[in-house]
Formats: sequence, C-alpha cells, structure tokens
Amino acid sequence: MASEAVAHESEHHAPPPKVDADVVARELIATTTNASVRFKAIAWTLGILGVIGIVALILKWVNDGDDSTKWGYVATIVSFLLAVCGGAPMVAMAPVMAKANWVRPVTRLAALFSFGSVVTIIMLIPLVALLPPLVTEGARRRSIWFEAPDYAPHIWSVVGLLLLALTGIMLFYSAAIPDFASMRDHATGWRQRLGKRLARGWVGTDVQWRTLRMRIGMFGTFYFLILVFVTFLISTDYGQSVIPGSRDAIYPMSLTISSFQGGVAALVIALYFARKWMGLEKFVHLDAFWSLSRLLFALTLLWVYFFYSSFIVFWYGRSANDIATLDLLIRGPMIYAFIAGAILIWFVPWWILIWNRVRRGTSAMVVGSFIILIGLLLDRARYFVSAWSVPQDQIHQKWLKVVPETYFPNIYDILIMVGAISLAAVIIMLMTRVIPVLSVWQVQEFNLLSKPIRYVRGHATLVAKPD
Amino acid sequence: MTTAEFGAHNWGMVVDVDKCIGCNACVIACQAENNIPINTQDRVERARTISWIRVERYWEGDFPDAKARFIPIMCQHCENAPCEPVCPVYATYHNAEGLNVQVYNRCVGTRYCANGCPYIVRFFNYWEPVWPESLRNHLNPDVTIRSRGIMEKCSFCVQRIRRTSRTARSEGREIADGEAQTACSSACPTSALNFGNFNDPNSKVSKMKEDKRHYTLLDQFGTDPNVIYLAKIDADKKVGAGEHASHG
Amino acid sequence: MQQRRELDQVYTNRKLLNGQLDTPKWWAPTVTILGIGVVIGLFVIATMINKGLGVTGLGRPVYWGLFITTFVFWVGISHAGIMISAILRLTQAEWRRPVTRAAELLTVFSLLTALVFPLIHAGRPWRIAYWILPYDVARGIYPNIRSPLIMDPVAISTYLTGSTLFLYVALLPDLGNLRDRTTGWKNAMYTVLALGWRGNPRQWKMQTVGGILLSALMLPIFVSVHSIVSWDFAVASAVEGWHSTIFAPYFVIGAVHSGVSAVVTMMALMRWLWGWDDFIRPEHFDALARLLIVVATGWLGFTFLELIFALYGQDAPEIALREMQILTWPWNMLFIIFLLTGYLIPVPMWLFKRVRTNIALMFWTSILVNIGMWLERFLIIVPGLARRTPFVYTWEAYRPSAVEWTILIWSFAWVTLLMLLFSRFFPLVPLFEQKESQVFTDDVMIGRAKVPAIVREAE
Repeated sequence: MASEAVAHESEHHAPPPKVDADVVARELIATTTNASVRFKAIAWTLGILGVIGIVALILKWVNDGDDSTKWGYVATIVSFLLAVCGGAPMVAMAPVMAKANWVRPVTRLAALFSFGSVVTIIMLIPLVALLPPLVTEGARRRSIWFEAPDYAPHIWSVVGLLLLALTGIMLFYSAAIPDFASMRDHATGWRQRLGKRLARGWVGTDVQWRTLRMRIGMFGTFYFLILVFVTFLISTDYGQSVIPGSRDAIYPMSLTISSFQGGVAALVIALYFARKWMGLEKFVHLDAFWSLSRLLFALTLLWVYFFYSSFIVFWYGRSANDIATLDLLIRGPMIYAFIAGAILIWFVPWWILIWNRVRRGTSAMVVGSFIILIGLLLDRARYFVSAWSVPQDQIHQKWLKVVPETYFPNIYDILIMVGAISLAAVIIMLMTRVIPVLSVWQVQEFNLLSKPIRYVRGHATLVAKPD
Repeated sequence: MTTAEFGAHNWGMVVDVDKCIGCNACVIACQAENNIPINTQDRVERARTISWIRVERYWEGDFPDAKARFIPIMCQHCENAPCEPVCPVYATYHNAEGLNVQVYNRCVGTRYCANGCPYIVRFFNYWEPVWPESLRNHLNPDVTIRSRGIMEKCSFCVQRIRRTSRTARSEGREIADGEAQTACSSACPTSALNFGNFNDPNSKVSKMKEDKRHYTLLDQFGTDPNVIYLAKIDADKKVGAGEHASHG
Repeated sequence: MQQRRELDQVYTNRKLLNGQLDTPKWWAPTVTILGIGVVIGLFVIATMINKGLGVTGLGRPVYWGLFITTFVFWVGISHAGIMISAILRLTQAEWRRPVTRAAELLTVFSLLTALVFPLIHAGRPWRIAYWILPYDVARGIYPNIRSPLIMDPVAISTYLTGSTLFLYVALLPDLGNLRDRTTGWKNAMYTVLALGWRGNPRQWKMQTVGGILLSALMLPIFVSVHSIVSWDFAVASAVEGWHSTIFAPYFVIGAVHSGVSAVVTMMALMRWLWGWDDFIRPEHFDALARLLIVVATGWLGFTFLELIFALYGQDAPEIALREMQILTWPWNMLFIIFLLTGYLIPVPMWLFKRVRTNIALMFWTSILVNIGMWLERFLIIVPGLARRTPFVYTWEAYRPSAVEWTILIWSFAWVTLLMLLFSRFFPLVPLFEQKESQVFTDDVMIGRAKVPAIVREAE
C-alpha cells in the first residue's frame, strides 16, 4: 500500500537493478554445474549420515522389532518429515491461488522438497509393520475406520504417502517443463539431453502456456487435498488411535497447520543458503523473505490458537477421558518437551518475528526458522512418543488408566532421526544439480510483472495483476 | 470439639438399588418437604416438570432377555461438578460439607448449569410457582419458595441438616449417625435410600459404600459423585460393579 | 482482478454522499415501517420479561433454544467487518475498498443485537448486573471468571469497542468532507465528530498508521470472540454433540462464511437502493465470491471433521445423538436444508464467473448461505440438548414459540433499521478509500497487452 510506502519512506533504498531475461536463463542454468567445494563437502557429510541412519533403522528393527513402545521417535520423524517435505511445496502453488508476485522465484525450491518425501516413506515402513490391526482379541479400537477391514489404516497410509510424493513430484515437473526447455537450449552434456527428453517439445506456444498453468493449478489443488488427507491419516492412525480413548477433532488440522509452518521455515532456511552460497541475490529479493516471514508469523500464531482450542476443551471438560488425555500428552512424562516445544514453536519465534526490522532482514529470519523446526520436532516427539509408549494391549480401553513410563531415545533413535533429516536434505541438494534451484521462467515473469517506480517522494513497485 | 460445627461432615447418600421397590414414596416426600410446585398436566406436556428426585425406568439387556429396572435419581452432589465452574455468578458452588448448593438469590437463570449436568437433575422455573388454595397452608416454612427465572435442584434437604446440627450444637454434642435424614431417606419403606456422613468411617453409609456392589452413575464424566449406588442383584447373572453406569 | 475505471472526484463525492445530502424517496417510509416493527418486537420482549420465560417453547432438557442460536448467528455475522477491513487490509487486497465501511457497520450493529439475546434469555435479566459488574465488594463475591458466560461479555464488549474505534477512524476523512458540505445543525454535528480533520499529511499518516495498528490488534480479538462463544458449548463434557476440540476454529470459519455472505447481501442492496453501480462493481462481487468459495470449502471440511470425530469414538450416546441429528425427522429435514443452503447450492454456483458477476444471483445465494448458517447453529445447539440421555424421561421436547420467532424477526428489523439510520447521516461507501484506490491503480503495457497494476510498497 503506497500510503504506507510514504509513511516509511526513510527506510527505502533504491530498487534492485533490472536483470535481463537472457542473463537470468544463462546464470541460473550455470548454477547447476559449478558446485563449490563447500557444497560437495556438505553433501558428502549429509549423505554419509543418511546411510548411517538407514543402517541404524535396520539394526533397530532387528533389536526392537517386537516392542512397539520403543518406536515413538521413528513415528516422530515420520510426522516431522511429512510436515517439512510435505508442507513446503504448498508454497509452490501459492501464485496460482493468490496471484502473489513475490512467490514466483521461490516456487521451484519449494517444489523440490517433494523429493524428500521418499525418506518419509522409508521411515514409515517399520511403523506399518508394528501398527496393530483394527481388531485385536475381538475388540475394535477407536478409529476413523468404522467398518473398514482390519488393515485399512496400514494400506491407506502407505497409499496416501506414495500419492503425496507422486503428486508433489508431478507438481514440480509440471512447473519445470519450460526450464527443461531452457536447459535443452542453454545447458551442455547430460543436462541438455535430460532437458531435451523432459521438455517434451516445449516451445512456448499459447496453448502450451495455458496447459501449463492449468496443470499447476490442478496439481496444486490435488496436492493440498492429499496433504490434508495424509496428515489426517498419519495423525489419527499413528497418533490418536493408539492412545486409548483420545478424541481430538482438531488435531489433524493442527498438524496440517504446523506442517505448513515447518514447510515455510525449512523453505526460508533453504532459500537463505541457496541465495547466499549460489550468489542468487539478484533473483531472490528481500521481498520474498519479507512475505515468507509474514506467512510464518501468521502460521506461528495459528499453531498456538489450534493448540489452545483443544487444550481448553480437555482442561475444562474434565471428563475421565479428558483428564487421561491431558495426563498422557501434556502433564505426563513429556511435559518438558511440551514446554520447550511451545516456547520454541510459538513464543520465541513470535517475539522474533513481530519486529518489522527482523522480517525485512534475512539472518534473524533463518535463526527464527531453525528455532521453529527444533520446536516442531520436540512437539511432535511429545505427541508421538507419548502415544506410542502406551502398550498395545491397552489401546482398546475406554480411557487410559495408567500413564506409562516414557521411552528415552537410544543411540539408534538419534542416528535414525539425524540420518533421516540428512537424507532428505541431501536429496534436495542433489536435485539442485539437475535443475536450477530457482525457476527460470518464473524469475523472468517476476521481473516482467513488477516495475520499480517513483511514487510521490519515495520508491514503490508497480505490480501487474494479469488474470 | 463439637463436630456439629459446619464443615466437619461430608454428606452423602448410598442407594441400594436392590432394595428399591419403585414405590415413589421418596418422590412424594420430596415434593412435600421442599415446596416443589405441582407437576400439572401442562407442565408435563411442555417438559417442564420439577422433581428433585425421580424414579427412572430403564431397560437392561436386549430383547427378548430385556428386564425393566428402576433407579432413584437425584442430584449427585458431585465433588467435581460440571455445573459449578460454568455459573457466571457463583449461584451454585460446592460447600465444605460436600453439598452442591444452589443460592437462589444469586441465580440469574442462564440455565448453563443444567446443560452441563449429565444426570439432568437441575430444574428451571419457567413460571412463578402456584399452589391450589387448599395447599397454601401446607408449605414448609423452612424452605424458600423459588420464584420464576431461577434454577433449583435437590439440596439433600439442607434445612434438615441445619436443624439437626443446630440442635446438636445447642445440646453440646455430636450429630449421631442417622440423626440427619433427608425427606426421601426417611420416607423410604425399604431403606434403599441411606443418608449419612462419609467422613465418619463408622457411619452406616461409609460401611455400605464399601460393598463390592458399589458404583457411581456415568463415571465416564469423572464427576466423583457423593451419591453411591449399590447394584441390583440379579439371580440370572452376575453383575459387576459399575455395570449399570452406561446404558440408557 | 481490478478493472480500472477513471472516476473524477466531484462525481465520486456527489454520488456517494447522496444518502446524506439528498435523501432518497424510499428512505422515510421504509424507516417508518421498520420502526413500527421494531417497536412491536420491543413490546414482545418486554412482555416476555414481565411474564417469564414460560412464554417460550423451552423445557427440560432443552434449556437453550432459539435465543442462543440467534445470538451465535449475530456474533457470527459480526465477523464480516474485521475479516474484510483488517485481514484484507493486511493482505493488501485492493478490492476490499468499497465494502469496508458496510462490513464494519455490520460488525458493530450485529454485535449490539447479539448482546441482547443472552440478556433476554436469562431467567432474571434485571439481575444481570451481577454478571458483568463486580458487585458487592464487601462480601467478596465477584463474577466467576471461570465461567464462559463471563468470558463472553468481556470478549464481545472488547470486540465492540475495537470495531467502533475502527469504524470511527475510517470515518474521519469522510466526516471532514461532510462538514464542508453541510450547513446548520448538521454542520455543527459533523464539525464535532470530524475532530478537526483537515486532511494534511500528518493527519493522513496518523489515520493510516492508526488503521493498520487497529487492524493488527483487532485480529486476535476477532479470532477470540467466536472461539469463546464456541467454548460455551465445547467445554460441556456432558453434552455429546458439544464437547469437541474443533469447535473454536470451526465456529470462526463458519462465522467468516456467514459474515462475508452478509456483506455480499448488503453490497447488492446498496447497489440497488442508492444506485452506486460505478463503485460497487461486479468485480467486487467476483472477488468476494472467490474468497467465499475458499472459506466455505474450508468450513465444510471442518464440518466433516467434526462429524467424523464425533463417530470416531464409537460411543453409543454420541452415535445416538448423530442418528437423531442427521437421520431422524424433523432434524433430518433441517440438516438437508442446512447442507443445501450452506454449501451445496451456493458454492457450486459461485464456481461460474457468470454467477459471480451477476448481482441478483449473488444476492440470493448469499441469503441462502445465511439461512444455512443459522440452521447450522440451531442443529448444533438444540439436538445436542434434546438428545435422549441415559436417565431422563423427557427429550426432544422443544418447539420454538411465536414469541421466540417474533424476537428472531425483530433482530433482523432492528439491524436493518440501525443501518438505514446510519446511512442517513454517514456515507456507506468510504469516499477516501474509493479515491485512494483510483490513485493506487494503474495500467502497464506488457507486450501488447494492457494489464491492470497495483502500486505496492517497495522492498
């Protein structure tokens, strides 16, 4: 709003220089080939950690494969990765829905997170094996699967996650076709051959562009629906329904909201490092950080709202079931994880992100995003470790009679968690070798649609809003 | 020394469902004792009856093995009462003697307490109460007549408790076990309703509630009632404690 | 999308001030008829207070009925103002501009109406002072702040104060405008109200900053009001249909759905009655309808989530309640009407641009939404209480009486009357927002296409 622009005139500097469309294509495609030593070192380290994580997962299965109460941290990492790798691509469909200009350059990076979902699927495998069927010893536990076959949650969670990864990759691909065409025209070696194959004869006709936008819109909508669906499945089948008596209607939504939060936070971190180490300052303006930070701020507040909405109903309701749920999930052995999680997800970032100056910068934003991700991990651990610590012979009770001892992570759990995150990160990093980390055509479009102007006595941007 | 002082008791009731014959004497006694307006045809039709204690019929088991049962229900005087925290004016609160008391003068009639009550034992006065001329002189002078617009419910005959403790205090002695009786418990021909002090481990009710048949109504709400039920003995089948709690 | 249209300022002033400077002919008779209706309604309320709540159809266990439903409904409508003015202001949606004033007004007047209902539904309304004022300090009995019924008036009065301020701050430039165009007592009134507005840069800056600050401050209140109203129900663990953790966001998103629909209704009326075709244009309806599609779909998702988790526990009482609410006559009929009017008819229609830009269709569909949203509240509140509980011999015993229906209709007449009275003295479309939007929009040439553009703050 320009009246604000006038109001804050003193803070404004000259607009960033305009970059030629040709330069955008050449420079961005060049980023795929020249990897720095630092990049290689980090990729190798993360890769090794990832392999160790997979080995640890197999060893844990050999050791503890018969005791479900020890698998809470694996459930945690599944829901954490689902949040981060599933939530980030949601940003990729924002321009279609809201026609926001700032988001165009970062959509590619967001969509790349879909490839991390592969790790989520790997981590889910042991949990599928450990989750008991719906009916055990003649008793049917509480679940969303009222009359469904006994193994419905197992099948649908796997199908859902596969579908999510697939749709995410399709969302990535449908928006990447023009860039593959650019690689066909500008890159060399195997990248050019790959571009030629994947561009599928893209020349940029009107029909092709219309189809492209329609595809992005379609896959984006599908992706959103599937993400909500999968989060719903994971949170009920692997969280709520293994806690006796627990019934929290808002929890799936709360998990969805925090997965957007985790996704945006991870995207901010990725964007920061990509921008700094690949020299993309020209293409990613501060505008993007500022808008992402406002989004993150809103999501942070939503987290606390959703949490409180469910907490107050349990706390005030005081039925036997309500008290048991609070005893297990909040007042129970994980109370410190809960407090730390709430402080790190909500309080600290809220206090950091509320300042305009912080949101206009990049470094404090990255710190805030890291804090949010740590808090998110703690909060997921609070819920899922508590849920899985209930012995499986008790999950049919009307409500939890005795709060079980919590399970502390051993070396395997730590290696699995570190490994899973590293593996997801390294997959995303390797993908930036295949395709430019910023979408070439979207950066060009961004430049085309926004024009710095002089406005009254200050600077402003004139943003075109095509239909 | 005198335990007749306020706060020394925890009043409660033990209802032996096995002894209850469903004669409704308790209901009549309560209506008479507590100045409850007559449940006329109009009130019944519009679901506005007031009966602080009622004998409910319910079915046990599925057809064809269904059995008709009945059970007296009154305010359960919950220790953890859902009606109390929701009242905006503290018109209902828990006193030191374990009673869930209703302060008529404070009540503004939001009826929120009644919504919170799982036993549906709170009643609202939709109209000013009226009695036929012939009954005007039969009203109990110890009990307030509730005007329209306020809630009322079983008070465990608090006026009788007060009278007993006053007498005991003036005579410098403790209240004897069974001395304080509610209208319903004194009217019960089979001693199904037993009123007494749960704080005294030797009182009749304290001993009765140790019975293995004991249960509380609707325990899933975690209300912790001061009314304890003893289950019906069924010759045909063994009934465990708490089995009555969940059917409707 | 913004369609750029050049409107000169003199025309804008003349058109938008037509309610104040030359009153339309229909105004006086309409106000008179509404006024008579309102007086009749007030008489019915007074009779009810005099005779007692026996004149309603309430009984046992349905202690809350039409009044609380209508209370929730009007609180829901009040969410329009902040949604349109604050949220869309913070997200910089240009198309909000012509409707901000109407939305804020709707907030203030619907809150004033909503507040009436909890008061008159109480058994002894003349003792309500007990609730809100900390009375009798000597005895130390304050209102019970644990009670949601205390949190309600606190939240609502905060919201009301905030919205009134918000409305007033946005009204200042227009008051200055009116002051300069009137004479006599009206001039004196506007002079006092305009607080010396002259439109210099400092005043504009303060007005803008004040608006943004109020927007940000009002957001948490906006969310909390309906959340607290929802907790009136959700905290009651004994009522199966109420005790759900989803209620707070579910109520808030439902409130936005009904509030924004009410704004659409109002926009259509304003366009027809005052002839503001140049200011309230089809693209504004289009944008609001797009917003409504998203909101309504989110709301439907919450509705299903609520239902799924009601059945999730597979507890007999909860299943029995849902069977009654959804499958049993007459509730099933209400449920079907609720689904049809709240979502299934309007939203698929809005998917078509021809419907979104058709003012008459938008008017009727937005009214449908509010019928559906009223029924939604009714279907939550009444069956929740009317269900058959384990040990009770009366249930489902509620049929709203004529008195209750009269008071419900009164509330609509009352809000409309307040609106019309307001429109006589103050402009319903903010003049300065209209002019500002002229300044902040432009066209750019991209290739051969002329594309509308918006001026945004530089990074």
